Amino acid sequence: MNKERYNIRMAGIGGQGVVTASHILSNGMVIMGGESTLVPFFGSEKRLAPVESYVRIANGKIYEIGEIIYPNLIMIFHPQVITHGKSYTMPFYSGLKPNGVVLINSETPIHLVADEERELMERNAKVYYLPATQLSREIADTDLATNMAMVGAVSAIMGIPDLPSLEQSVKERFLGKGFVVSGGTAALDNVIERKFAKKEQLLKKNMEVIVAAYNFAVEHGWAKVKEKVQV
Amino acid sequence: MSMDNLKISPALEKYMTKEYRDLVERGPYGKQKKVSEMGTFKEIIEEHPMCAGCAMTLFIRLTMIGLPNPEHTILVGTAGCGRLALSQTSIPFIYGNYGDTNAVASGLKRGLEMRFPEQPKDVVVMAGDGGLADIGFSTVLHSWFRKEKFTTIMLDNEVYGNTGGQESGMTQRGAILKMAPKGKKYEKMDMLGLAKTANVPYIVRMTVTNPTRVASVVRKAVLIAREIGPTFIQAYTSCNIEYAIPTPKVIDDAKSLEAERYGFQEFISDEAKAFLESIEPKKAKATKSTEA
Amino acid sequence: MSEGAGVEVKSTSAGAGVVKDSETSEAAGQKVVTPEYMFFEAPRERAFITGSEAAKEAIRRANVDVAISYPITPQSETMQQVGALWAEGYVKEYYRGEEEIGVMSAIAGSSRAGARSLTATAGPGLMRGMEVVASWPGGRMPIVLLIMCRVINAPLSIQPDNAELAYLINTGNIVFHAENQQDFFDYTLKAFIISERPEVTLPVAVAVDGFFVTHARGYVMMPSKDIKLPPRDPYHEAVPVMDNENPPARLSRDAPIQKSNFISYHVHASWQQEVWAAVERSRKYIDMYMGGLVEIVNPDADTIVIASGSAVSQSREAVRQAEEDLGERIGLIKVRSLRPFPTKELREACKNAKRIIVPEFNCVGWLYRDVAAALYGHSKAEIIPGPRVFGGISLPTEMILQYIFPDKKFIF
Repeated sequence: MNKERYNIRMAGIGGQGVVTASHILSNGMVIMGGESTLVPFFGSEKRLAPVESYVRIANGKIYEIGEIIYPNLIMIFHPQVITHGKSYTMPFYSGLKPNGVVLINSETPIHLVADEERELMERNAKVYYLPATQLSREIADTDLATNMAMVGAVSAIMGIPDLPSLEQSVKERFLGKGFVVSGGTAALDNVIERKFAKKEQLLKKNMEVIVAAYNFAVEHGWAKVKEKVQV
Repeated sequence: MSMDNLKISPALEKYMTKEYRDLVERGPYGKQKKVSEMGTFKEIIEEHPMCAGCAMTLFIRLTMIGLPNPEHTILVGTAGCGRLALSQTSIPFIYGNYGDTNAVASGLKRGLEMRFPEQPKDVVVMAGDGGLADIGFSTVLHSWFRKEKFTTIMLDNEVYGNTGGQESGMTQRGAILKMAPKGKKYEKMDMLGLAKTANVPYIVRMTVTNPTRVASVVRKAVLIAREIGPTFIQAYTSCNIEYAIPTPKVIDDAKSLEAERYGFQEFISDEAKAFLESIEPKKAKATKSTEA
Repeated sequence: MSEGAGVEVKSTSAGAGVVKDSETSEAAGQKVVTPEYMFFEAPRERAFITGSEAAKEAIRRANVDVAISYPITPQSETMQQVGALWAEGYVKEYYRGEEEIGVMSAIAGSSRAGARSLTATAGPGLMRGMEVVASWPGGRMPIVLLIMCRVINAPLSIQPDNAELAYLINTGNIVFHAENQQDFFDYTLKAFIISERPEVTLPVAVAVDGFFVTHARGYVMMPSKDIKLPPRDPYHEAVPVMDNENPPARLSRDAPIQKSNFISYHVHASWQQEVWAAVERSRKYIDMYMGGLVEIVNPDADTIVIASGSAVSQSREAVRQAEEDLGERIGLIKVRSLRPFPTKELREACKNAKRIIVPEFNCVGWLYRDVAAALYGHSKAEIIPGPRVFGGISLPTEMILQYIFPDKKFIF
């Protein structure tokens, strides 16, 4: 297997599950047999405050630590990260490596100023708009699975971690033991759990959202794989 | 165990100094000495580099007689005049950093309690008004709030004596000293009131005028600290240099301050009183509670 | 001084403060093993845990008597978990102190009492407690201090930056700098044993760069939690403990030097020379237990990167990319021990080097100064200060590559 190695920067706003998404992606890579490191970066745990998280995933050894300054993939969980500057990293694509990918949760393309368009073009950046919150609402009847849609699309775009590993990771996240979570995140988990009444139901809905986003990426030709999958 | 450690190995006896042999044979270890017996036993402190006529030295000397178990006592001090004498005592003395006494004592006492659950080890902090009320204020108050089981004795000379006469938090309002050239603008800190607020079970204000009482108060404070919680003695130990008190008048000064504003006060909690009565029924009865 | 996010561990068992019988008996059932067995022979299992959890697991196995805590980001994670260990019976005494001067002093008290003592701090907390920390070596106190490095200078932030070590390495404390979660586990455990050796009897600080290691997960190979190190033996150390069980009775261990005179100068000089000699004597145990003061990769390379802590991880990746993508072999020296400093090891390893690069996570370049001083007159290599990052940002691999290959372009 060739060396596959991605540095991912995730930006969103507090309460969207950005850090949770990074844990799921990171742990999914480990479950798949690779390595991953993860650094959450949040000034203080405030709802609607900017949140960033950094994940390295690879099928080989990872040495580096710390936040990712030059990412291959940038995930924007909320349009306001770009439109309102709710971000620790401005502009949102700063440091993007040549030929890198920007995955933005938005139903429609976001208007960028001319300089931004030019700089993205100079880097040969691929900018993908995924209606992650919309998918979450349609399938799970909640906004809170937005993060699931985002990781589902990444699995398709990057090829790692694969869907079975992601599924296992989601299972461990909600049913497993000893996860490092913040107090705020634990409270949100409870909200989600109440909403779905049963954890099994929660897992199923999460996986449906993940698969829908995965297929969305395949349909739009962002993915390395060409085949859509069934839940 | 400590008593055994003190004893001189027979083979080494002839090499030991007279000083040390006196300590073992005629020291206060393992027996409670009285102030009235001074001169008949080897005291824990004899030499010191303090100024002639210093009231603080007398107070420290009396304190050492009051210690119920000097062979199991560790002293903790900090920068200031007092440590010059304390480091000359024949019991372990810890001289740490500025204002750290009550924190060091907290860790020390807990460590000793953990290592010696059957043998009480007494920890006694002795430091100046600057060391305890100014730079060490935080560690003093927190040790009280945490109910740390050791005694804090403030040698209150109302001035930074060791550094050459600067105003301290315990200086009287109006006193003209270095760093207060126009006279101190604020009141003397009410450490006794703060000790009460922190529910310290035994609080005493005193001077050196009654030597027997000094030893008796120290003894009670150490015993209560062992079982009940933190104890606090605030003692006026004048600085005859910075306050220009003629050496022969040092005790007169203490007497007049006692009459004016530094009278003997003893506060003892019901729990502490009951404890004292349980170990020394007669003595405790004589204790007069004169809470202000 | 505790701002910012605290990430808490959601435990499957009851939280801190609730002692379950099963947990108590689990702690009581720990078997004492030799340090050698603990470090080298005991079977280990792999865990994927944060640096804070790695520290906790080391402390669980370290037979700690007294631990005193004070919260500060990013250290709080560790010491609150040590509190949980106390609740479970793995640590005998524990409390939350008033602030760092109080904590560093109290831990000095418990060490003097003969108890195996631990605390941890970060950045501003270390600076606040520094007056006390700097006095520990002179007091010959075995203590383990964990340091989760963070910004100390203004504008203040909670992010990792290790400028705080600049003075610490000149205090007589032994100082290790852990690269990752595994190091943090191993160095912490080994620090207790090295600290308490009779010919050492010194505090050992184990520093790690905050967040990058403390809040990130990594693989850690750990022996079973059923075993623990032997307890501290305070009667086999360089100075008597203050427990009144040591003759003679007059024992002012922390002798204040009364006044300035020639005797006091002599006392101070000989005492500090002995402290630094004891620092040097710890080498034997660092070699024995930690595999040496340095780790060397590609020793024959013309260009060598010398780094400690998280900068080593970044350099490893730069070295890998240089070899795999650019076909160039670059040397790497990881400095595990900042004090004692690996002077002779560096002189030997760098004798044929042409260029030396010293990447650091601070603005003062304390490692560069030490490297330059050690190699002066012993190497013809050009010693390049940097690259350096300030304020706690990670050091991108691209920056290191740019210093290694000045003629190529890595950063846009």
